[in-house]
Amino acid sequence: MSVEVSRRKFLQGSVALSVAGASAISATNLFSSENASEHKSTNSRIPSTITTKTSTAKAEHVPFLCGICVNKCAGLARVEDGIITKLDPNPYFPKNRNMLCPRGNAGIQTLYDPDRLKYPMVRIGERGDGKYKRVSWDEAYEAILNGTDKFKGIKQILDEEKDNRATIGYCNGEGLSKEGFEVLVGEKIGSPNYVDEISICLETTLGGYVNTIGTYGEADLTNSDYLIIAGANRAEAIITPDTMDMFKRSKGRGLKTIVLDPRFTNTAVKADRWYAINPGTDLAFVLALTYVTIKEELYDKAFVAKHVEGFDEYKKHILSHNYTPEWAAKLTNISAKEITKTAREFMAARSPIYYQGRRSVFSKNDFQLRRAMAIFQGLSGNLDKKGGIVYGQKLQLPKEDVNAPIYGQAQARFDKDGIAIPSLKTGSWIVFRNMVLEGKNPYPLRAMFMRKHNPMSGVPNTKKTEAFLKKMDLNIMIDILPSDTAMYCDVILPEASYLERTSPVASYGGMEPAIVQRKAAIKPLYETKTPEVIYKELAEKLSKPLWENTLKYDEDVQDDTEGMSAKELEEYYKENGFDLAEPWEKPVHEQNEERITKAYGKKAWEILDEKGVFYPHMEEYHTQLNPNEFEYYPENKKHYSTQGDKLKVKCNLTNLTKKGVDAMPAWHDDMEFSVPAGKFRLVTGRHAQFTQSGTTNNAMLRDLIPTNYIWINNQVCEKMGIKFSDKVEVKSPIGKVTIMAYPTNKIAPNQIFMLHGFGGSSEKMELAYGNGANDALLIEDKIEPVYGAAVMHDTNVEIRKV
Amino acid sequence: MARYGMALDYKNCINCKACEVACKEENGVELGAEKHRIWVGGNNPEGAWPLLDMASASFLPSQCQQCEDAPCEEVCPTHATYYDENGVVRVDADKCILCSYCMNACPYDARYVDERTMTIDKCTFCSDTRLARGEMTTACQATCPTKVRTFGDLDDPESEISELLRTRDHFSLKAHLGTKPKLFYLT
Repeated sequence: MSVEVSRRKFLQGSVALSVAGASAISATNLFSSENASEHKSTNSRIPSTITTKTSTAKAEHVPFLCGICVNKCAGLARVEDGIITKLDPNPYFPKNRNMLCPRGNAGIQTLYDPDRLKYPMVRIGERGDGKYKRVSWDEAYEAILNGTDKFKGIKQILDEEKDNRATIGYCNGEGLSKEGFEVLVGEKIGSPNYVDEISICLETTLGGYVNTIGTYGEADLTNSDYLIIAGANRAEAIITPDTMDMFKRSKGRGLKTIVLDPRFTNTAVKADRWYAINPGTDLAFVLALTYVTIKEELYDKAFVAKHVEGFDEYKKHILSHNYTPEWAAKLTNISAKEITKTAREFMAARSPIYYQGRRSVFSKNDFQLRRAMAIFQGLSGNLDKKGGIVYGQKLQLPKEDVNAPIYGQAQARFDKDGIAIPSLKTGSWIVFRNMVLEGKNPYPLRAMFMRKHNPMSGVPNTKKTEAFLKKMDLNIMIDILPSDTAMYCDVILPEASYLERTSPVASYGGMEPAIVQRKAAIKPLYETKTPEVIYKELAEKLSKPLWENTLKYDEDVQDDTEGMSAKELEEYYKENGFDLAEPWEKPVHEQNEERITKAYGKKAWEILDEKGVFYPHMEEYHTQLNPNEFEYYPENKKHYSTQGDKLKVKCNLTNLTKKGVDAMPAWHDDMEFSVPAGKFRLVTGRHAQFTQSGTTNNAMLRDLIPTNYIWINNQVCEKMGIKFSDKVEVKSPIGKVTIMAYPTNKIAPNQIFMLHGFGGSSEKMELAYGNGANDALLIEDKIEPVYGAAVMHDTNVEIRKV
Repeated sequence: MARYGMALDYKNCINCKACEVACKEENGVELGAEKHRIWVGGNNPEGAWPLLDMASASFLPSQCQQCEDAPCEEVCPTHATYYDENGVVRVDADKCILCSYCMNACPYDARYVDERTMTIDKCTFCSDTRLARGEMTTACQATCPTKVRTFGDLDDPESEISELLRTRDHFSLKAHLGTKPKLFYLT
């Protein structure tokens, strides 16, 4: 066996060794009190060592939902004497199929991270210098309301802005308590200026698929027999259940796998074929596949006749533009022969899937790429059926109505520059930020309310984000770690991590739908509080003073309340939703019980509360197949086909034309991939061992990947005299970073790659600080034209050895 | 009394290292990139971009092979290394003198120095944690996203591992050395 690799050989050859971590910084500050090798805490609720051997003593097993990334895997926390010693998979959740990934396992290290935010903090220095004062919760809320000698409070800001609630902006990274934050700042406080993480994530993918086939859908990789996976790296960017289903059947075991990626990724290792496609040219590839399919009439004719709208126009469009394999070969770096072969194989397969992909927007044509992919999938007829892209079912949860007040003085959101279809709810991070920086906002933006979001790392062009944050009168952060962005905040509120809180129940749809509940495994550590308690207490603090401000400026409210007695006024305040704290009257666990009992009965609640997972007939359906695997639903109860005649594939969206967007996916000359001589295209990505910037301070994960490197083609390195771990300066039109080199044959000579999420600037995160490079310092802040989502792979850089 | 072994459906491995982390958390293995009982070997592909030799790139999850004829046990001068009642190769921390003969003798590089317990430590099949509690999976097996591992009693013909080894082709690492590993790689 040539694959035998010993520990020593592996370590020598691995990128994982040979580099010392970031230099240790003095930890004599409020944020950090312990060093990283051992927990030297006197807190009896913190384990004395970083890893704790599980014992044979009695332990509790509390069902939790992982909060390390977006997947929400279900697990069981082993709690011994109030300390979590191990996280194990929960075998009941169909989505994560009885597994936890390395990050899920290492969640303990985030919980017990010595650098965690422990107390509420108020800024006493300048923004970015890390000087804070520990305060009580009430003092922190007071500072948000009334400010300090260093910054203005929200009351003064809204007074100066005559109750225009739109002067507050807000953002929140993904998670189960995000909706509550949207309720608090959006619906209750009344800000329309939400910048959701979706505009730096998969907005065009969702939009492209939903507008074309009505759903993003779920790829049934357990039953598919042919897979094209392009620009998605499921071996390293783990998505459940896709990752688990995909790789059990790759490599000649039932799922033929074609990987397209500029890099040779771990997913490519598992492929039957790998095509090193030029960045941003996937659309040409899909158009050429479609050309072959239509020209040779390989598509499912009965399905197309019944379900595909605008097919004749699309057929004409594809053929008349001559999107031939020969045409695409020049653009994509994939030969015409291979393109033709792939199209034929795909259409001949029993259950072919062109994987929808996820993550961020790669290039400006991303919306049209996803449309073309969805239509191509539709031509195979493999939609809404076993082995295809499945629509599935969702278990409904009772809707919770929010009594949202109406603020007459609040203006509308403005981030619409250069966007065909601006989102009213979620906005565009780049356009929003840049318009404020350039003074193009029609009214002042003065405060940012932020939670669990790190735009200093996540939004392209960090310098602009820094300038944007500095421009605010008031920045608030609710988070568990002192992130780069937190360092630009005036008030920092420490949140309980996902293992210390019970979260609102969530429902996950698909072929095998389920409802899940995250339950607190231990009480919040230090002085942290759960998000919902923070929302409630902050709302209570702000409610009356902000109401007074509305009374002062809002003519509609003044008209309504004229001549009212104090008692009547109080009733008006409550009835019209101005009591901001009202949604959090009941604790989360109680709300969960009420909602589940109402929808599915008492027994369902008992099952959910005990096991962390519920779906109808779970106890009957859930069976163990072998020591590793379970069946969640019997085969005939899985929701493979749910659409019937409703199923539509829309080729021609004519209403897009008047917004300046192509009605059918088309190639334009400016989409061509080209890199000037001496430059490199920057490509970024994720890894199975890290979730963006959120886990780079995790001691356990740092053992697996100590830093990010720049991948440079090995032959280029030879010419430039660059060796492994040499320091390289990378310079883009907007900034430069220094990072260590990884010469490799796994990337093209005109491209470079680095992992996203490294290069932290917050000195309060000892392991993350200054370790590697932050790609957001390099990536130009370009947007795609449909939603204004950030384009991640459209920046050319120069490199030089330093 | 059992004879524990493990079958590895190694083609499922995506080199995510969930097994390594689960092992460290379960067994209290100290931090440090070189301190691990489990690792995933990986080969970079041969060839020049873009014509890479895909067959040359693969992942091989590995750990102590739990040899029936273990060189580490044979060379241990203090008998710190021993076979327990289930045939698992274990180390008695009280007897270990850190001479490191076992490290050199092991053809699989499965041993490392635990500076906390001052032992040349290794995989125990979770004998003193999960198995001691009556659980029948190891931490690495239980957590694996793609379900590479199946642990069980080789002497029990009804066990899943016995069934796998009866019905699937498999090989052992460095079989020619005659150490009789109880880890089996399924093909």
